[in-house]
Amino acid sequence: MAKNIKKALRDFWYGKPHTAEEGGRRLGDLHEDKTHLYKHREWRGVKDTMYYFYMIWLYNYIFMVKDVMVMGGLVNFAKGVWRYRWVGQTYLPVLHWFDRGLEGMRGEAMKASAWHYRAMVSTTIRQFQRMFAADTRLHGGKQNDLYKHTIAHNETVWGGVFYPWDGEIQNVPLEMIPYFVTCHVNSHTVLNYIDAVQSIGLPGDPCPMCQAESGIFVLDDVPDYAPAVVTCNEACDASVSTSTLQDWFFDKPLFSLPMPMIFDDPLVKKYCAREIEELWKFVEQQYNIPFSWDKLVKKLELQNELQRFEWEKWEVAGKTDYYPVNGVAQALYRIYQTQYGDWEIWHVTDKKVRKILEKCVSKKINSFPQTRHRVIAWSCAPLYYSNWCTWAYNCWGLNVIINMDSLMFDMTIRTDSYENTLEDMAQYHLWAPMRRMAVGGMKHMFELWEYMEKFNCDMVAMYDQLQCKGVQGLHGLFEDEFRDRNAKAFWIPHALPDSRTVSRAEIRRLINDYMTTVMHEEPLDPSLLDFDDSMTW
Amino acid sequence: MRDLKHLIYFENLLQEANNDLVKQAKAEGKRAIGYTCYFMPEVLLDLPGCFSVRLRAPRCTSPDIATYYMSARVCHYARSLLERALEGGFNFLDAQMATETCTATCRFQEHLQQKHLDSVKDMRIIDNDDFFCNFIDVPFKNNQIAYEHYRDQLRAHVLGGLEEHFGIDTSDAAIMAAIEQQNEVSRLINEIGDYRKLDNPTITGYEFHVIQLVSLVCPKYLILPYLRETAEEMKTREPDQKKEFRCKVVLAGSENDDPDFTKLVESCGARVVCDRYCYGSVESRQIIEVKDGEDPLMAVARHYLTTSNCPRFMPQDEMRARKQRIAELAKEYHADGVIIASNKFCEYWSYERVIDTVILKRDFGLPVCSIEKEYINSASGQLRTRFQAFVESVEIKHIQEGK
Repeated sequence: MAKNIKKALRDFWYGKPHTAEEGGRRLGDLHEDKTHLYKHREWRGVKDTMYYFYMIWLYNYIFMVKDVMVMGGLVNFAKGVWRYRWVGQTYLPVLHWFDRGLEGMRGEAMKASAWHYRAMVSTTIRQFQRMFAADTRLHGGKQNDLYKHTIAHNETVWGGVFYPWDGEIQNVPLEMIPYFVTCHVNSHTVLNYIDAVQSIGLPGDPCPMCQAESGIFVLDDVPDYAPAVVTCNEACDASVSTSTLQDWFFDKPLFSLPMPMIFDDPLVKKYCAREIEELWKFVEQQYNIPFSWDKLVKKLELQNELQRFEWEKWEVAGKTDYYPVNGVAQALYRIYQTQYGDWEIWHVTDKKVRKILEKCVSKKINSFPQTRHRVIAWSCAPLYYSNWCTWAYNCWGLNVIINMDSLMFDMTIRTDSYENTLEDMAQYHLWAPMRRMAVGGMKHMFELWEYMEKFNCDMVAMYDQLQCKGVQGLHGLFEDEFRDRNAKAFWIPHALPDSRTVSRAEIRRLINDYMTTVMHEEPLDPSLLDFDDSMTW
Repeated sequence: MRDLKHLIYFENLLQEANNDLVKQAKAEGKRAIGYTCYFMPEVLLDLPGCFSVRLRAPRCTSPDIATYYMSARVCHYARSLLERALEGGFNFLDAQMATETCTATCRFQEHLQQKHLDSVKDMRIIDNDDFFCNFIDVPFKNNQIAYEHYRDQLRAHVLGGLEEHFGIDTSDAAIMAAIEQQNEVSRLINEIGDYRKLDNPTITGYEFHVIQLVSLVCPKYLILPYLRETAEEMKTREPDQKKEFRCKVVLAGSENDDPDFTKLVESCGARVVCDRYCYGSVESRQIIEVKDGEDPLMAVARHYLTTSNCPRFMPQDEMRARKQRIAELAKEYHADGVIIASNKFCEYWSYERVIDTVILKRDFGLPVCSIEKEYINSASGQLRTRFQAFVESVEIKHIQEGK
C-alpha cells in the first residue's frame, strides 16, 4: 500500500515512467479511437504539465491570435477563412499538431521542440496574412499597395534570391501555406486538391505533392496577391509540369528560374548564377525597384548565423546523447527555415534553443533516455505523418537523430565579393529541397553512409515515396547496399501528402513488423503498437 | 498501295538494337554511341569514326529484374531499357551519352555509368571494357544563356568524351560533315513524310514510323542508300483508289518507338499523318542551319533547343507555343483531330496531355483523343475501343458540319 502511494506520488510529480516494465504511461490509452482526440490530456508530471499548458498550449493560442492581429488584422483573416478552405480547416487543429509531435516528450526535449513549432506557426501566420492583406479577391479586385510589393513564387524557389529587396518586396511562396504546411496540420485538407486535379484528367501516378499544388489552382483556391510569379523546375519532372499548369490558371508575368539537374559540374554552377542574375533583372523590371547589394549581404550574413548554429546543433546531435530536439521538430523547422530564408523569428527561436542546448550539454541531460537505436531518416518524409518519429521513440525507442531534409543546405554563403556571393547562391540554389539527395545524382543519394557515421546512427529509416520517380529508380540499389553492408534499415512507404495510399496505421505496422521479426525487440510502450487513428487530423 | 521495297527489311532492323547495320558498322571499326533523348544531339554522335543509336527495347514486355532495381512505379520505357541492358542487349555500345532530361531515363543511364564511388557499387551492366557514360545538363529555357550553357556542356562532356576515349575527330570540319550527313537524312525523311500531306496520302503512318525509326537506330551512312531508294520509289507510288481511312490525325505525345501502336491507330480507321512525339520526325528531322561564320557547335546547340517542343521547357511563351505548334501541324497536314498519348508514369506528358486536351479543343477547335499507354501496348483492346469511338466522333462532327 505504502509502495503504491509512493509510486502514485512519484508518478504525479514526475509523470509516469516510459516503459511497461516500470509500470509505464501507456500513451496509447489516452486517445479516442479513430479521431485520436484525447480522452484526457497527458500528465507529464507537475513541472512539465504546467510548462506544456502555459508555455506551449496557452502561449501558442495567445500568440496565434496576437500574430493574426499584428500581421494583417482580424478582418483580413476572417475574409481569408471564409474564402479559402485550407486556412479554415487547419487553423484550429494547430495545437493538435503540437500534441502529435510532442507526445511523450519530457523536460528539455519538450521545450526545445516546442519552440521550433512556435516559430513555424508564426511564420505561417505571417505569410497567409500577407496573402490575404494583398489579395485582390478579398478587396473587391483592387490592387493595393501590398499587392504591388509582393512577389509570388513556387515554394521550392529559395526565398534568399529576393533578399536584395528586403523590406520593399515581400516574397510569399504560392504553395507553402495552402498546401505544404496545412497538410502537416490537417491531412484531410489536401485530399480535395488531389482529387480536383485528377478530375480534369491527370493520372494518379505523378508526385502527389505536385498534384496537390496543381489542385489548389484547379479549385481556384489561391489568393491573387502579387503581380508577378517566379517558378522553378525543382524538384522533379512533375514540378516543371505543375508550373506549366499553374501558369495557365494564373496568367501573370512569369520568370522560370531553372535549376540545373547535373549539379556537380562547375559549368552548371556558372549557368545557374547567370540565371539568378536574370531573375534579379526581371524583378527590377516588374517592380521598378533597384537591386540592393547591401541588403543582400546583410540578409545573407543573418542567414549564415542560422547555419552556424545549425552546425553547432549537429555537433551535439552527432557526438553526444544530449541533443534536445526531437526528429519531427528537427526536420520541419530546418526545411522551413532553409527554404524560406532568413527571418527574425528563426533567430529568436535559435536563441531560446541555444540556452536549452547549452544546459543539456553542461548538465549532461539525456533528453531521450530510452533510446535503443539512433536512426537516420533518409529521402522525403510522409507529410501526413511527419510525427511518426515521435511515435517510434515512444513505442520502440527509435530516436531519429537527423534526416535528409535537414542536411541538404549544408553551407554558408560568402559575402566578400559579388562573384563569390553569386557562386555560393548558385550552389545553395542547386542543393534545393528534395534535389540534392532525393533526385540528385547517385553520389548524393548515397551520402547516407557518410552522414550515418557522422551522426553516429545505427539504423536507417528509408522513406519510400511511392510516386517519386527519382527515388523509386534507385530502389534496388539501396536494397543491394543495405544487404551488402548488413545495415539495419526499414522502409517507410508513403505518398507524401496523400494519407489514403499508405495509412499511418500501415506505416506503424511495417515498423512493428521490422522491430519484432528482424530486430526481435519488445516495445517500450505496448499500448502504442496498434491503434486506429484513421480519422484524425 | 504497292508494298514498299525495303519495308520488311526496315521492320527487321527494328527487331533488335544490335541490328545488321549496327553490326556492320561495328565490324568496320566504328564506335557505337547510345542515347535516349532528343536533347542529346545525334549529329554529334555521328562524327566520323562513330555512329549514334537511339536506344529501344523492342518486344520487352516483362522487365522483371529492372523492376527490382527501379520498382514497378517508374516508366515502362526506362525499365525496359534497363532490362535489355541487363540481358546483354546493349553490350555492343561503346559509350552512352546521357541526359538528365527526364528522371526515369536518367536513372536508367545512371545504372549503366561507372561511378567509382565507395558508397554504391558499380554494376558493369554493359560488358565492354571500353564503355563509358557521360551526362550533360540540358537547359529548361530557350535563350542565349541557355544556348551557351548547352554548347559548353556538349563540348565538355560529349565531344570531350569522344575525343578522350576514342580519339574521335571533333573539329569544326568534322562537325560540319556530320551536319551535312544528318541534313541529307532529314531531307529524305521530310520528302517521304510530305506524302502524308496529300488528300489521299501515298504512305501510311505505320510505314513512315518504321522509316523514321530506322533513321534513328541505324548508322546514318549505312541507312542512307535505302532511304534514297525509298524516296525515289515514293515518287511513283499510287494511292489506293478508295481511301482506307475515315479521318486523319496528328499523333502527339511522349516517347513512342513502337510502330505497332501507329498500326493500331490506323486499324481503327484513322490515318496518322503527323508524328509529334519523342522519336517522331517533327523535331528530329528539321534541317540544321549553320549561319555564316557561326561556330558549328553553337549552331547545333541552338538548333536542338529551338526545335524541341518538349514539355520540360518552362518559360511562359514556350508553353503557349507548344499548343500553337500542334494546331499548326494539324492545319499543315490537313488533320481532322489530334491523338495525345502519354506513357504511363511519364510526369511531363501526364500534365501536358491534360492541358492539351483542354486547350486544343477550347482555343483551336480541334477534336482531341487523350489516352495513356504502356511502352509496349498490351491493352490494345481498350485502346482500340477508344480510337474507334474517336474516329466516329470526328465523322459525326463532319456530318454535322455538312462536309
